Amino acid sequence: MERAIIHLNVADFAVAVERVIDPRLAGRPVIIAPGKASRAAVYDMSDEAYRSGIRKGMLLGRAVRLRRDAAVIVPHMDRYDRAMHALLKQALPYSPLIESGPDDGHLFMDVTGTHRLLGPPVDIAWRLHRQIKNDLGLNPIWSVAPNKLVAKAASRLVKPVGEYIVASGDESRALAPLSLCLVPGIEKADLIRLHEFNLTHVFQVAALSLTQLEMPFGRRAPSIYKAVRGIDGSPVLPVGQSPPVISVGHEFSEDTNDAPALERHMYRLVEQAGHSLRKRCLAARRIGICLNYTDGKRCIRQARARPATANDLDLFEVAGRALLAAWKRRVRIRHLALVCDGLVFPPAQMALFENDRQHREKRAGVVGAMDAVRHRFGPGAIHMGRTL
Amino acid sequence: MDNTHSHAPTLPCRVRVGTSGYSYTEWIDAKFYPPGTRTGSMLACYAETFNITELNYTWYQMPRSQAIERMRRKVPPDFSFAAKLTRTLTHDIDADTWRKQALQYRDGIAPLMQTRQLAAILIQFPKSFTRTVQNRKYLALLLDELAGLPAAVEFRHASWATDRVFAELEKRRTTLVAVDEPDLPGLFPCLDVVTSPHLFYIRFHGRNAKGWRCGNMQKQFDYHYSDAELRQWSDLYIKPMTGRTRSGIIFFNNHVRGQAPDNARHLIRILTEQGLM
Repeated sequence: MERAIIHLNVADFAVAVERVIDPRLAGRPVIIAPGKASRAAVYDMSDEAYRSGIRKGMLLGRAVRLRRDAAVIVPHMDRYDRAMHALLKQALPYSPLIESGPDDGHLFMDVTGTHRLLGPPVDIAWRLHRQIKNDLGLNPIWSVAPNKLVAKAASRLVKPVGEYIVASGDESRALAPLSLCLVPGIEKADLIRLHEFNLTHVFQVAALSLTQLEMPFGRRAPSIYKAVRGIDGSPVLPVGQSPPVISVGHEFSEDTNDAPALERHMYRLVEQAGHSLRKRCLAARRIGICLNYTDGKRCIRQARARPATANDLDLFEVAGRALLAAWKRRVRIRHLALVCDGLVFPPAQMALFENDRQHREKRAGVVGAMDAVRHRFGPGAIHMGRTL
Repeated sequence: MDNTHSHAPTLPCRVRVGTSGYSYTEWIDAKFYPPGTRTGSMLACYAETFNITELNYTWYQMPRSQAIERMRRKVPPDFSFAAKLTRTLTHDIDADTWRKQALQYRDGIAPLMQTRQLAAILIQFPKSFTRTVQNRKYLALLLDELAGLPAAVEFRHASWATDRVFAELEKRRTTLVAVDEPDLPGLFPCLDVVTSPHLFYIRFHGRNAKGWRCGNMQKQFDYHYSDAELRQWSDLYIKPMTGRTRSGIIFFNNHVRGQAPDNARHLIRILTEQGLM
């Protein structure tokens, strides 16, 4: 069956929410950034600010220099969370298959097969847009396409306001004239490589066969091959069923590139994540480390845990591998984030050899004892020496 | 109501019948399209039965010339289109940008103009668009902006049903769209007024009074015209209108469960019987 996917995107979501609350911000350049300290990074910005060269993650001091008349607002995550819930609530009567991003104003809705009840998908999208505009005061971009990839590309095309309809069968033709940077699924590293070959537009890459792409791109070739043709079979996950992850982070009061300090904070993050995992009776198969450098650049690397684990000591080893892969620059680090995903129930398989089993039991015993102490006397009652 | 706003045509009137939109997956269930028909091949399939269609999607989204050209290539050269004017020019009007939008619209539908396959531009106003001084001025400016295009105006509000409006449309040789819709207070009445010697335009919306204002198209346009109702329309309205214009286009908007193509085919049979097609 042909699919019908609606993508709603409230451009510059945080700014849009702030403008609903304070209409005086309409038409003015707006920067959302934590605090007014010059070392704070831009969280979001309005289209006016974007046109002046301001970007997410840029130092606030630099952003303000670029646009001195900009209104600087502290992020109100609770407001964005509430607005996101309100957006979701508006969409729920139309489909149970709604996938949303984390407070970013994006919604994917699968309305395949609802025509008898609700009418054509394009009419659903328009009605929903009108409803959101009237009830919430937000003006989302809407697009209708046969899959998520094309719907998202279509939304990017009309940003910051507008609509785009891509009929089934028109996916590759709709993408063909676009710049490659508008196509979701083509990563930054791919773009750099493609530019090296002087390939800047979709139709140029779409003219290449899979074999031709495999030469420079290796394992990335099939993804690029599909992306430029608008092929995307990924489903829209039902509401509340996005893949579970545990994410924790630490912002350094002073940017640092001191290895012991970094390891110390990483262990604290591991403890937080491990506690959440054990509380939910889950184990992580993969750990990701995200480093935000002082200059706004970011590096994310992952490492696999074999077998899946929720033990702090094991998690720390895996996180250490990810950190080693991510930390390749001498620039100081501002923010460290740790993400556990691929969450599964803890494996029941015991270690084959006695020594391994004893080792695991010993580690589980230490962490279990610490959990028990913390449970009884509070989270600050006991610490690992390396966190002090 | 006076219906003398007309010119006697010298050639016999060419009447074409079709549906408002053609891309409805539910028409596969209704057996109008064969099982497994993909959206992309619906127009070609539709063109095997009808020789005209009304483009609805141009109301939701500004037409783009490349897309229109691709669509045009799917149909025979004698197939025609009526294109709905984009909602930003009729429903969500922005005083600052509408002229730019009108220009964009012109560019978008240019491929149909170039191949003479554009039968009409349907300017459908909502019920909230009442006959106020401001709206009258806007309509006049909009028609000026669309000069040279075969414009047809559909009003939903009864306040526009006056001889002065018809006379002005006649002066501009702009078609007034005749509508069949539920008999509800405030709605534009069903009239056989002809304001252009070139074209009459009829839209059958169905008579589902209960679902008309529910906001859901599936209920609003869920109606099936009986043989008697279509024959009555043919005798009372279509026949007299054909005597006053060179061509006429008729569309069924009751798309739910494939009722529109069913009624359109039935009306073609009636008009053929009566020698009007």
